[in-house]
Amino acid sequence: MGPFLHALQNSAFSAWVVGSDSIWAYPMILTMHTIGLGIVVGAAIVIDLRLLGVGPGIPLEEVRRVFPIFWLGFTINLISGVMLFISEAADKATQPVFLLKLGLIIIGVAVTARIRRMAFGDRASLSLIPSAVRRLAMSSLVLWGGAIVAGRLMAYLK
Amino acid sequence: MNVEADLKVRPYDARIMDPFSAWLEATRISTVMRDTTWLWPACESIHFIGLALLIGGAGYFDLRLLGFMRRVPMAAAKAFMPWAIMGFAMNFMTGTLFFVMAPHMYVPSAAWWAKVFFIVVAGLNAMLFETTLGTRVLLLGPNEDTPMSFKIVGGVSLFSWFAVLFFGRMLPYIGTGN
Repeated sequence: MGPFLHALQNSAFSAWVVGSDSIWAYPMILTMHTIGLGIVVGAAIVIDLRLLGVGPGIPLEEVRRVFPIFWLGFTINLISGVMLFISEAADKATQPVFLLKLGLIIIGVAVTARIRRMAFGDRASLSLIPSAVRRLAMSSLVLWGGAIVAGRLMAYLK
Repeated sequence: MNVEADLKVRPYDARIMDPFSAWLEATRISTVMRDTTWLWPACESIHFIGLALLIGGAGYFDLRLLGFMRRVPMAAAKAFMPWAIMGFAMNFMTGTLFFVMAPHMYVPSAAWWAKVFFIVVAGLNAMLFETTLGTRVLLLGPNEDTPMSFKIVGGVSLFSWFAVLFFGRMLPYIGTGN
């Protein structure tokens, strides 16, 4: 893994991301990552809060439509995140708080996908929210909040 | 371009600072907070969580104003607004702390003024909606499209909040003069 990560970090792409004076390099990728954060976590918050009882007037089947927004934000952040990772691959791959962030995101996505299946799947009853779904919604909020904090701390905990 | 530029309070030269920043930064409260090393990253973490609450809660209502998700009753789509307002309050408080700790990073920054401008636009837009159009929300039946006035308000709101986010994140990189 080591030589591969160093090759990524020393690539021309990385040199452009980190070394360019253009705001279209590192600053713009970072900003896209933050815009994606707002979309993906914002969508997760809306889904989770509704499942936890906020906005009972919103028909549950309409909450289905928030999932594509979640995946849109996630895709923006997967792409921008991979670009940011490549530019500092060797350093980030061994940074504990980055690995923590990655772990929280993987579990967060798995939990969101499970919420989609359990609460909005074909066989799901949309009139009643099972307590298992509520627990997943609560976990989702904690996981995404944790991923945000871990991401921010990547700048401080080397 | 220094990748790490946004990670810490920039070193500054009091001699070239504007008088207001120089005064504020020399106050005891500013000094004490700056010397509390965990305070800046803690505020940043809260600021980013607040951002997600604001974009999620306000964005959902904005999409409904724009005419999406029409089967959601207008009044019900407002359910997340208290959470959006909480996110805004979190960000207003932590943002004020950033400003008190390091005003010289914001006062001369074009990006910061652009961010403030769009916060004012979003705020006035919301006030305009609540005071003039807000009551028409209840008259709107389910499955009904929203009038053009609602779409404009929703579009302005969504655009403004993303502009706030854009200029906030670009703050260390544009209009700083370095």
